[in-house]
Amino acid sequence: MPSNERRKQILKGLYDGVVAFDEDSVVEFSKAAIGEGVDAYDALMKGLAVGMEKVGELYASREYFVPELLLCADALYAGLDILRPHVKGGGSEESGKKIVLGVVEGDVHDIGKNLVKVMFDAAGWEVYDLGNDVPLDRFVEEQQKTNADVVGISALMTTSMLAMPRVTKMIKTRNPNVAVMLGGAPITREIATSYGADGYADNAGEAVEEAGKMVQMIQKGETAHN
Amino acid sequence: MARFNGRDRVLRAVNRQEPDVVPTMEIDIDQRVIDAIQPGLSYADFCDYMDLDAICYYDMKGKKYETVDEAKGIVRDEWGALRRFTRVSRTDPLPVEPAVKSPEDLNTLVRADPDLPSRYTEIEQAVRTYKGKRAIIATVLDPFTTVAEIIRGEVNLYVDMIERPDFVHEVNAIARDYHMRYVTNCIDIGVDAIWVTGDYAMTKGPMVSPTFTARFLTPGLKQIADYCHSRGVPCLKHTDGNIWPIFDLLVQTGIDAIHPIDPAAGMDLGEAKEKYGDKVCLIGGVDCGALLSWGTTDDVRQAVKEAIRKAGKGGGYVCASSNTVHSGVKPDNYVQMIRAIREYGKYPLSFA
Repeated sequence: MPSNERRKQILKGLYDGVVAFDEDSVVEFSKAAIGEGVDAYDALMKGLAVGMEKVGELYASREYFVPELLLCADALYAGLDILRPHVKGGGSEESGKKIVLGVVEGDVHDIGKNLVKVMFDAAGWEVYDLGNDVPLDRFVEEQQKTNADVVGISALMTTSMLAMPRVTKMIKTRNPNVAVMLGGAPITREIATSYGADGYADNAGEAVEEAGKMVQMIQKGETAHN
Repeated sequence: MARFNGRDRVLRAVNRQEPDVVPTMEIDIDQRVIDAIQPGLSYADFCDYMDLDAICYYDMKGKKYETVDEAKGIVRDEWGALRRFTRVSRTDPLPVEPAVKSPEDLNTLVRADPDLPSRYTEIEQAVRTYKGKRAIIATVLDPFTTVAEIIRGEVNLYVDMIERPDFVHEVNAIARDYHMRYVTNCIDIGVDAIWVTGDYAMTKGPMVSPTFTARFLTPGLKQIADYCHSRGVPCLKHTDGNIWPIFDLLVQTGIDAIHPIDPAAGMDLGEAKEKYGDKVCLIGGVDCGALLSWGTTDDVRQAVKEAIRKAGKGGGYVCASSNTVHSGVKPDNYVQMIRAIREYGKYPLSFA
């Protein structure tokens, strides 16, 4: 076991590496965490994930933009690849939760969806990423196959957004207990609600929190509409 | 006031002068909306039927694709990028794989031919039919967008901006050469304006920082704008999204007009008019999301009146949707939008 001081140093190294999109540094500190006996889950959540939260803040305050976010995500995944195999049993309230993600058919703009995926990965969710230009019935099939708690659907264009009420209805008809979350440039909370969705995320950082709330509501037998 | 034709109206507005009435035009109108209003008309004939002031042509016309996998709808475009036709993308295939997957691929990049005659067939036809009556506008993809969506791929390009900036300049130059040649050809044919399309921003803000915007995005736009001006032709720019942080940079390129001032992205015609109305013409501002898709005709008429009140004073405004008249727009809403523009947009404005 490392000293408390060394443990803090490793966690800070992971945090700083993600924020500074320094992939080499993240790899180095991830290996150090495993080699020196830092709990892998702690390293992941208190180092990498907290770093990614900071990145989300920097993006929201327009200090970071899409290029910086992409490189931060690369750094995060470099650490996840090393740490994840060493995580014992899960042990967090987020572990075991599952989400299906995808961009609706006719739309290939998936950078936003990929950033949402990063945040869910960082938070310990199991993510089933269908990619972009996803036929509507694929969302239904994948939810049923994985028994995911949440289906997150994204659209960048007003034209592709128009498919969202249909796919939301298809998912809810097949399984009323799955939460549907919508996001993307033309979507607002009002539009998401009018489309029959359970939730909406304004940005990648909010998506994880929103999804967690939706799962809780559904478990309590509530919906966004009652 | 003298009565102008569509071409004069657009050109006066772009020059920030008052025409007889606020002009209107759309960069694209979905065929389903056209068919619901006047079945069977082409886009150009529909513009004529609705008495719109301009006819706009995409440089997507005349593209050639080589079939790669017929069953999956996968084709190779003129740059060597793979694209896919789908049920909802029957005419404009979606990107699958960029032409330059790794920097080394640049050495073997196939250059699309800007002189391909088929690119210009429809523009030539429009010039023959409508020249002097309506503004004929050639749209051209922003060199940045060609690099992002075709040559290099968005994610690769954004990473390149940080990791290999010189390479970005090299690829940008290839795209610029192509588009400059296309613009030259269009002006030679006789178009009245060039409209550079391609987004610099998303709903919440620019895709890249103002520093990167100035370094990698706006130089290509400025080169096109400078060339247009050397030929006496105005240069318009379209970009979706919230562009407040980079509005100054766009204006500094010398563009004559900016579109679409999307209220759903936090853009406001009144604020844009106040800050930049003495430098650029504003185009757009009528919400094509909730308003034109689900609003009532009264809502639409009020929105048009409000848009003209905010931006019409003194000229320098073309009233249009906040992006395109897409397939979800209620046809009757679009008809009412045009009627309201003609009714409320007469100069001198009575209420602005």
